[in-house]
Amino acid sequence: MRELLQLVVVGLSTGSAYALVGIGMVLIFRTTGIINFAQGSFAVLGGLFMVELVDGLPRLLAGALSVLVVGFIGSLVGFVAVGFRRRTTPLASLIITLGIALLIASLNLLAFGDRPHTYPTFFERAWDIGGVLVQPQYVLVAGVTALAALLLTLGLQKTIAGQALVACADSRRAAELVGIDVRAVAVIAFAVSAGLCALGWVLLTPVDPVNYDSDVRIAISGFAAAAFGGLASIRLAYLGGLTLGVAQQLVVGYADEIPGLGQQGRQYELAAALVIMLVLIAWRSRHEVHE
Amino acid sequence: MRERLPTVGRLAGTLAAGAFAIWLSYQLSPGDRSLYTLMGLYAIVAIGLSLLIGFAGQISLGQGAFYALGAYTAGILTVGVDPDDRLVNPDAGIDPALAVLAAPVLTGLVAAVIGVPLLRLRGHYLAFATLALHLILLAVIFAQSRFTGGQDPGLAVIEPLEVFGWQITGVTGGTARHTAIVWGLVLVTLLLALNLVGSRPGRALQAIATSERTAAAAGVDVSAYKLRLFVLSAGLAGLAGALYVFMLQFLSPDAFGVFLSIQFVVMVAVGGLGSVYGAVAGAVAITWLEHELRELGTRPSLLGFDLPDQAPQVFSVGVFAVILIVVILFFPRGLLPALGDGLRRLRARV
Repeated sequence: MRELLQLVVVGLSTGSAYALVGIGMVLIFRTTGIINFAQGSFAVLGGLFMVELVDGLPRLLAGALSVLVVGFIGSLVGFVAVGFRRRTTPLASLIITLGIALLIASLNLLAFGDRPHTYPTFFERAWDIGGVLVQPQYVLVAGVTALAALLLTLGLQKTIAGQALVACADSRRAAELVGIDVRAVAVIAFAVSAGLCALGWVLLTPVDPVNYDSDVRIAISGFAAAAFGGLASIRLAYLGGLTLGVAQQLVVGYADEIPGLGQQGRQYELAAALVIMLVLIAWRSRHEVHE
Repeated sequence: MRERLPTVGRLAGTLAAGAFAIWLSYQLSPGDRSLYTLMGLYAIVAIGLSLLIGFAGQISLGQGAFYALGAYTAGILTVGVDPDDRLVNPDAGIDPALAVLAAPVLTGLVAAVIGVPLLRLRGHYLAFATLALHLILLAVIFAQSRFTGGQDPGLAVIEPLEVFGWQITGVTGGTARHTAIVWGLVLVTLLLALNLVGSRPGRALQAIATSERTAAAAGVDVSAYKLRLFVLSAGLAGLAGALYVFMLQFLSPDAFGVFLSIQFVVMVAVGGLGSVYGAVAGAVAITWLEHELRELGTRPSLLGFDLPDQAPQVFSVGVFAVILIVVILFFPRGLLPALGDGLRRLRARV
């Protein structure tokens, strides 16, 4: 039981980082119709920048700086991904974001090399809560994530820019008619989304090291989280991320006891989570009426 | 999408080009030939993917997975499924020719199983689901090393491919005859694809490509056609993978990274979505480009700059990515159709 709780705590925290990636994906998809494959790259960049900056700067400043820089990179990616011509279809945009992800990965390889990067956690000791050892870093990730998701929801409701995003999500054409610049909205959506991804891995890197090629794993986990809510709901994407994280940890923890997997069970960490997500998506498709 | 049933002239041109491609197999040095064979294998995959993307409007990021699945199916069936039996009994496996035939069947089945639910959803679920499939397959290959050999020592498949006593690959791997057969298959696939585009199912597919709703209203079973295309494209990838095994005689998961799946999409995007000829041209161009970029990266220095150790990978992936972004941004219909448009405009002006 204690072990189970431990796994759930870790799962909830890595899951919330996936949730941030998924929420960003939903935000971009609803407002622009683009599936952004570069989400994983934003997360990796956030983690790598933090590892570099945390050496010389106070942690809070280093974290804020990483998130801002990645947010800026995200806005550039958004600008390019929307395309320069009206003909750029969502399919073409998806391929462009794939290309951007490859480009960022190879630049990261050049700049940071091929090894996992991490930095020491903020806290000295683990907390002992009723016999369950909890790394404070995990609680921090989960807490900040929840706060970020809450702020995003509020921001969408209360700010002018947020309302423009919501209008775009409802109908891009109608939004254009009332004078909303769709490209500007896309840039904002990409920037916010990139910032969220970076935030997740700025905090998660001490307990989950990043390498230049972690982006595929992160992007696909984020998509799985977003797909949980049919790419439409921020709340469900959050829930999807948490589900994915916990499922992944349970597979890692109990792999040895699943017949047929044996010692190699750990290697199925990501695969098992993806299978669960595929089944969930397939189950959802029962409701989808073909158009 | 633009190709109709080939006219006599076009058919003759295609056949002549095919004959030239096959003839070329016998003229190249063994070093060039392996790159040339790879081009042919990738062309087979690209034709299938081009039909899928062009007509169903769905990207599959898992063609590399189907390619790998085909390769491992053929490889494991050839050396024998039971690893214990494999070591003591040289005849543990089945006939390599049968193994090659089994590969597309199995990949097609896998595609049918995951395609049914996923093709019903909109919003490129298929892209990520097939990418997930690729990652899952890689994990299985790594973990089930008892069967697949994993990364180390890998899977050696030294049995030569033979059909009715007619030797296709030798004990040293790919031969000119193997290359010729691969390019012959490219020609057959190309003709089949062209025929498909011109037939009744082809017209249904063109209707789907124009508007799914209109097609459905006209009585076309949209999801059934999409699924068939997906299964077909997966089967072609599986077949190409199976033929790849006997060229290299060695399988390791490193050869089937996620980048491979992305490359297939790029080949189609460069050649023009839905264009069958474009897919072949895209496969040849991208395979060549990737190879050249990697070669460039292995040089100790370039333009006076010393190149780091990661240069081959950075060049082949990073430069490749930049080209991809530029092509899609400025020539969204593909480089080849854009070139054709440009020529036509030039001719009109003269």
